[in-house]
Amino acid sequence: MMAQSIRKNLRVISSAFEVTLRTNIVDSFVLFTILLQPLVIAVLAMWMLSGRDTSNAIYAVVGSGMTGLWSTLLFMGGNSINWERWTGTLELLVGQPSHLSLIVFGKNLGVVLQSLGSMLASYLLAAVLFRAPLHVEHPALFAVSLVFTVFAFVCFGLVIAPIFLMNPQVQHWQNAMEFPVYMLSGFLFPIALLPGWTTPLSYVLAPYWAARALHGSSSGGASQQEVLIAWGMMVALGVAYMFLSRWLMGVMLHKARADATLRME
Amino acid sequence: MSAIEVRNLRRVYWTAIGVIRRKRKEVVAVDDISFDVDKGELFGLLGPNGAGKTTTVKVLTTLLLPTSGTVRILGYDITKKPEPIRSRIGFIFGGERGLYWRLSAVDNLRYFASLYHIDPEVSSRRIPELLDMVGLGDRSKEKVEGYSRGMMQRLHIARTLLHDPELLFLDEPTMGLDPVGARELRQTIRNLQQGGKTILLTTHYMFEADALCQRIAVINHGKIVAMDTPEVLKREVRDLSIVELDVFGIPQAVVDRIRTLPFVDTVSLENVDQRQSLRVQTSRGAEAVPDLMATLEGQRVGKVIVREPTLEDAYVRLVEGEA
Repeated sequence: MMAQSIRKNLRVISSAFEVTLRTNIVDSFVLFTILLQPLVIAVLAMWMLSGRDTSNAIYAVVGSGMTGLWSTLLFMGGNSINWERWTGTLELLVGQPSHLSLIVFGKNLGVVLQSLGSMLASYLLAAVLFRAPLHVEHPALFAVSLVFTVFAFVCFGLVIAPIFLMNPQVQHWQNAMEFPVYMLSGFLFPIALLPGWTTPLSYVLAPYWAARALHGSSSGGASQQEVLIAWGMMVALGVAYMFLSRWLMGVMLHKARADATLRME
Repeated sequence: MSAIEVRNLRRVYWTAIGVIRRKRKEVVAVDDISFDVDKGELFGLLGPNGAGKTTTVKVLTTLLLPTSGTVRILGYDITKKPEPIRSRIGFIFGGERGLYWRLSAVDNLRYFASLYHIDPEVSSRRIPELLDMVGLGDRSKEKVEGYSRGMMQRLHIARTLLHDPELLFLDEPTMGLDPVGARELRQTIRNLQQGGKTILLTTHYMFEADALCQRIAVINHGKIVAMDTPEVLKREVRDLSIVELDVFGIPQAVVDRIRTLPFVDTVSLENVDQRQSLRVQTSRGAEAVPDLMATLEGQRVGKVIVREPTLEDAYVRLVEGEA
């Protein structure tokens, strides 16, 4: 019975994942968030490094890739909920028996896996255009960190999805959230440069731990134990996000049903 | 136990007006309505645009919360227990929305089959059957964006039947369909009801409600103004005759003048192609025509018909009486 239920839920996630990939693939905005925006950031970062010590090039590449990952999740995730609202499919998703969190999980997974292209694009740009020496210090740790990063970002997306579900003014939230998370997560510079009071905020952000694991394993600036701690934090926060999202989703859905914001004409 | 039990349902929307001194404006979409639908019944919710039909259906399908009142669907309260309802009902709101345009019909149905936890083996058999049933078998692998409105409507029907729901909510299902497509869809609806499904249908086509529904609730300005079988509703106007006149660009003042004539019960004006159809319900039958023509003096008048009343006339009388 339980195995059957798990199988059904996994089928929901994989279907949402497949539909997201197939609908996003033809969306030009995806190309912008996955490729263009991180490439612009990577070019700026590489240009700032040119003529100086290029041993930090891999930091810039990973950092700009992560900005792409976050922007894609934030904009594509939010836009896809709003797009469903305007096309009338959000009501169908709410009115069916599967939990909406499963569908959002599948959607986020599709978006995050697509956005890994950001990192690849930044890497190719730095290697080919700037001929920077790109050396990943601990390839195995980096590869595993990437898997945990995908999980952490997908779960982080689950927490922000209910906000988009309730509020049709998605863009306001997206614009307000994009840069604070860049900075607090230390994608492109260490959070030590920020005021001390912001550090606890960084610690509750799974993208911060993802950045620590990816930067640490690629640049070699962190010990194996520190990377392991970052993995543990990603898992712990990811699970906490899932529970939080389930509760938030219930609250926001109730509000969306009360305020009639599931469909826009 | 009834399939649908609605008690004193009221649904209000709030909108804000103004920029600095924002005022909250209340719009009552559904105003204290109550009705039951028995299992296996085909029940019609009939009313003009903006009467509250779609809002009612959205509350009944768990997509909107009632402002007050209670609704039980298949025994479950929609506010407290929406989850068990969702796997047992199907709904369509029709039109071109509510489908994934970048996917094919088959892919749309496959997606919804997984959301409704339908076993892949079952769905792989049921999807082609349903697509054949709605006449989309030949074009099932084409992207929905290339479909006509009628094809999309038929795909909505296939989607809503995927999980074999016992209760169906069809919100204006034939709207925008060509006459042949609409007739076929009406036959499909009839077949579904004969197959044991309970159906709540909203429409503003009287002949459709008359042809399909066992009972009809006429809704106007959010209130139910009449509820009975089509035959009983027709009796509402059995002592009246209908004078139907083709007119062209008639001023509102003239319509209002006709409305005040002592032998006139109700008046309605409808645009039909390049002309307008003026329908006057009167107890005087053909004898009313000379007086009507006198009131219409100076206006261009075409064909004049005196006929027996239909369900549509009963509906007009109920709605006009409320207006």
